[in-house]
Amino acid sequence: MYAPASGAEDGFTLSDTDFERFREFFYRRTGIQFSPAKRYFVDKRVGACVRSSGEDSFASWFASLRLGIRPELTQEMINQLTVNETYFLREDYQFDGLLNSVLPSVMSERARAGRTGPVRILSLPCSTGEEPYSIALRLLEEWPSIDHVDVEIHAADIDTNVLGHARRGVYGTRSLQRVPPAWLSRHFTPTGGGFHQISGDIRSAISFSLLNITDTGQMQAFEPFDVIFCRNLLIYFDELSSRRAAENLYGALRPGGHLFLGHSESMSRISPIFTPCRLPEGLVYRRPTTGATR
Amino acid sequence: MALVRRATGSPPPAACADPQLLIAALADADAERRRRAVLGLGGVGAAIPAVLERVHDGDAAVREAALTVLAAHDSAEVAAGLAVHLRSEDAALRTAVVEALAAMPTGVLPLLAQLVLDPDPDVRILTAMVLAHLPSPQAVRWLVEMISADRHPNVVAAAVDALLPLAGAEHAPLLRAARTRFADDPFLRFTIDAALPRLGG
Repeated sequence: MYAPASGAEDGFTLSDTDFERFREFFYRRTGIQFSPAKRYFVDKRVGACVRSSGEDSFASWFASLRLGIRPELTQEMINQLTVNETYFLREDYQFDGLLNSVLPSVMSERARAGRTGPVRILSLPCSTGEEPYSIALRLLEEWPSIDHVDVEIHAADIDTNVLGHARRGVYGTRSLQRVPPAWLSRHFTPTGGGFHQISGDIRSAISFSLLNITDTGQMQAFEPFDVIFCRNLLIYFDELSSRRAAENLYGALRPGGHLFLGHSESMSRISPIFTPCRLPEGLVYRRPTTGATR
Repeated sequence: MALVRRATGSPPPAACADPQLLIAALADADAERRRRAVLGLGGVGAAIPAVLERVHDGDAAVREAALTVLAAHDSAEVAAGLAVHLRSEDAALRTAVVEALAAMPTGVLPLLAQLVLDPDPDVRILTAMVLAHLPSPQAVRWLVEMISADRHPNVVAAAVDALLPLAGAEHAPLLRAARTRFADDPFLRFTIDAALPRLGG
């Protein structure tokens, strides 16, 4: 999960024109907009990017970035201007959307189609596990239908280290800051030093896998999902990788399935194959029910 | 009923199939089978002509899959096979092809000399749109060429629009010259007047 970071590097200031051009470029690339109030932060972080790139000026660094001459500069820029921070129940308006709008729609369509079997949810990338565990907690605590419907939660990431962390399910106070005390008491066990481990029942209910979203073979091997959370990943991809990821997400959803992206991401900028749907709780993308079916 | 986990929690195996079977599946009546066949043929050079045919597929998802697979084959031959659709009567196909070509810096470059001189100004406008997003240092050079030499104001306006995110103070004389050349075109004048203060320097 990514959000504007904080911090400072000294000795670099963008001109007003360069700040505007960079701000526009960054918005087009990531969907994240920096207000003029963030000028100091942007100056410092862009300065760090220019210095670490080895380019001799903002102009040459920016030219390399815009022209795609050095793709690694994009990753560095996003890393500098965002912070990789995740915690339980982050951006939980989307979990509200899952419970209040998406799952009722899934249940109606299942009933209409006479479909049985579990409701299937994928969290990708799952990072250290906060997102799939948050989904599990919200379902167990707030979705009455969990008493009569099976739900499979799959979680996947390309990084084996974060998957190991996710499987252990041990988190510190910062990660757990938004978990209500009653939930903490019911579903976690203190492990000392302010850390808590999520219950074995929940850990064992979630399937964690190593997965590359741009690998079509891996993605096609999944049975179709009803809902996919793929938040704050596509902003890191170049044009072609984004297209591949979009194709693979489409293929991993059943017709009518729902896709949640990060709040700053837009599938419309990547591919026209999904249908955007406005929920009371925000935007979700759906695989059309007509056309290609599985 | 509750949270459940499949007995096999291991990562899913990668799917694979015989390319000949996949090529045959491109003609399947079921659109999803065609789409999966197209994606399965990614990286199979011998299948390119068959995948190029799917650019005409009546199903939008199959067409997008074909364009994604073809864009990954970043060669002049594939780019040329796509560029013919810049003349298509189908606006959605033209736009989709522009996006695919913009992801093919190697394949597109050899075509540019011909595309920027195409007799159809609409093709030249679409070429400027490709150049706007082409990750290549050559993109600026070609846009400058179009702004300097093209005789159609709409083509020059498209090229100016494409150049702006890449332009610097060194391009101000180029834009002023274009403004002079097309002094009677209010849209181009407006575009350039709005752009000049943003070039910095």
